[in-house]
Amino acid sequence: MDFIIIAQMVVSGALMGLVYALIAYGFQLTFSTSKSINFGQGELVMLSAFFSLTLLDWGAPFWLMVPGGLLFGVVLGLAVERAGLRLALEQKSEGWILLTIIIGLLGFSAAENIWGRDDRPFPTPISSDAMQFFGVSITPLEISVAIGVFSLMGLIELFKRKTLLGKAFEAVSADRDAAELMGISATRTVMLSYGLSGLVAAMAGILVSPITTVGPTMASALILKAFSVAVVAGLDSGFGVVVVGIFLGALESLTSFYLGSGWREAPGLILLILALAVRPNGVFGKATIRKV
Amino acid sequence: MLVVENLYAGYGASKVLTGASLEVAQGRIVALIGANGAGKTTTMRAISGMLKPDKGRVLLDGKPVQGQDASRIARLGLAHAPEGRKVFGPLSTEDNLLLGAYSRLPLFFGFRARSIHDLERVYDLFPLLRERRLQAAGTLSGGEQQMLAIGRALMANPKVMLLDEPSMGLAPVIVQEVFNTIRRLKADGITLLLVEQFAKSALEVSDYAYVMERGRIVAEGAPAELLKDKRVLAAYLG
Ligand SMILES: Nc1ncnc2c1ncn2[C@@H]1O[C@H](COP(=O)(O)OP(=O)(O)O)[C@@H](O)[C@H]1O
Ligand SMILES: [Mg+2]
Repeated sequence: MDFIIIAQMVVSGALMGLVYALIAYGFQLTFSTSKSINFGQGELVMLSAFFSLTLLDWGAPFWLMVPGGLLFGVVLGLAVERAGLRLALEQKSEGWILLTIIIGLLGFSAAENIWGRDDRPFPTPISSDAMQFFGVSITPLEISVAIGVFSLMGLIELFKRKTLLGKAFEAVSADRDAAELMGISATRTVMLSYGLSGLVAAMAGILVSPITTVGPTMASALILKAFSVAVVAGLDSGFGVVVVGIFLGALESLTSFYLGSGWREAPGLILLILALAVRPNGVFGKATIRKV
Repeated sequence: MLVVENLYAGYGASKVLTGASLEVAQGRIVALIGANGAGKTTTMRAISGMLKPDKGRVLLDGKPVQGQDASRIARLGLAHAPEGRKVFGPLSTEDNLLLGAYSRLPLFFGFRARSIHDLERVYDLFPLLRERRLQAAGTLSGGEQQMLAIGRALMANPKVMLLDEPSMGLAPVIVQEVFNTIRRLKADGITLLLVEQFAKSALEVSDYAYVMERGRIVAEGAPAELLKDKRVLAAYLG
């Protein structure tokens, strides 16, 4: 009996952990090309979720809303790059840290003004009737989160390995100057990475909204966890964020079950401190995170 | 093919090039020699756009390119195999080569099929690279990485190629191989600006040479003439 409860906690926690992994993966995408991350990434998740909800309000069918919401995320990612990163990176300054935080704050107040402060439900055609697997209950909605996370990360990894543009992305990550000598524009590659990280943020928003509801603060806890996952896994291992994301998600739900939900945030914090003390480059990572 | 006129460049407050001029005619190999720290690498970086020149002109095939981004200059037909090789370590040997042809290939699909001919040409020139095709470039030996850097530059089918110290840090046998490769490229009609510490070997393979000292050209001429110049002999060819 006890075992089944533990299994249940692990499974539901792990599925949530995949969302942390997806957002952390977005951090990796931009860090690899430009050694920078968007500190307002949580607002991208939230704004994309609100925009997608608005598309539904306007009567868009669910399966049309998804690409619409994702496209919105890409546009936001590109906007952040243009407004917050481009100049700072050109001048080799660390100004992007402050700029992306400010852009995030702007996004937050914009959301409050446009959509209000209340949390709103996000309708979905995917069922949340539990199905039983060996005594553990899982909903199709939860399964859709896993499918969404793995298919998007899989597609982006395929893109990086199988297309020439993807190889150019890897080349810029490996050696920006040498990539430029091949005729690859580093500026455009950084844009591409921010577009992709916006895509990933929007996907995270669309996947969690039906479970958590949509509101201006919906992503604030999520983003901290994603950040912990990125730091613990290292900022260069896509495989690592999935493992750490699942681990953290499972650990959190076990903690809140046995110690009470007030302790839910504790594992992420402890993991982060441990990782910074023991393996500052991440358990799976090689790249330095000193600058972040 | 490549004309450099009165080039000034440096790193912030430290001015390195103070009016360097040189020319590489089509189908010629031109050597740029000089002591360590003379500014040879800086010259190449200022030509290829890795470094923005402060003053002066760089003409590629008659068109001014100075001040443009390195990626744009590369797309216009200049391939720079930089000092220290700078291969893409995590990527495979073949991916490194494919990226050399980046500006001529489709970005998504069919790029491999389109480049088979050029890949074969490079593999014929460097059979070792064929064996190491799928190996991560970072795990190759220094000599192999240099072959890869040259092969990657050739993949662009460039109008002009810049080759900076290809023999740096290599065993004498491998250095010989590098110079043999350059001779073969010369037979194929390559247009090349070559920087080398082994000044004597560099002069042997080149059609013309410049001697650089503290950011300026202080002597130039056919290799045979420079080899007679006592000053040059004493300073660089001792
Ligand atoms: N990245 C750099 N920053 C500052 N100074 C540099 C840099 N690279 C080279 N220099 C300086 O510029 C001068 C010329 O260097 P370089 O062009 O590399 O010479 P060479 O290739 O002829 O050995 C040297 O005095 C060197 O110290
Ligand atoms: Mg040098």
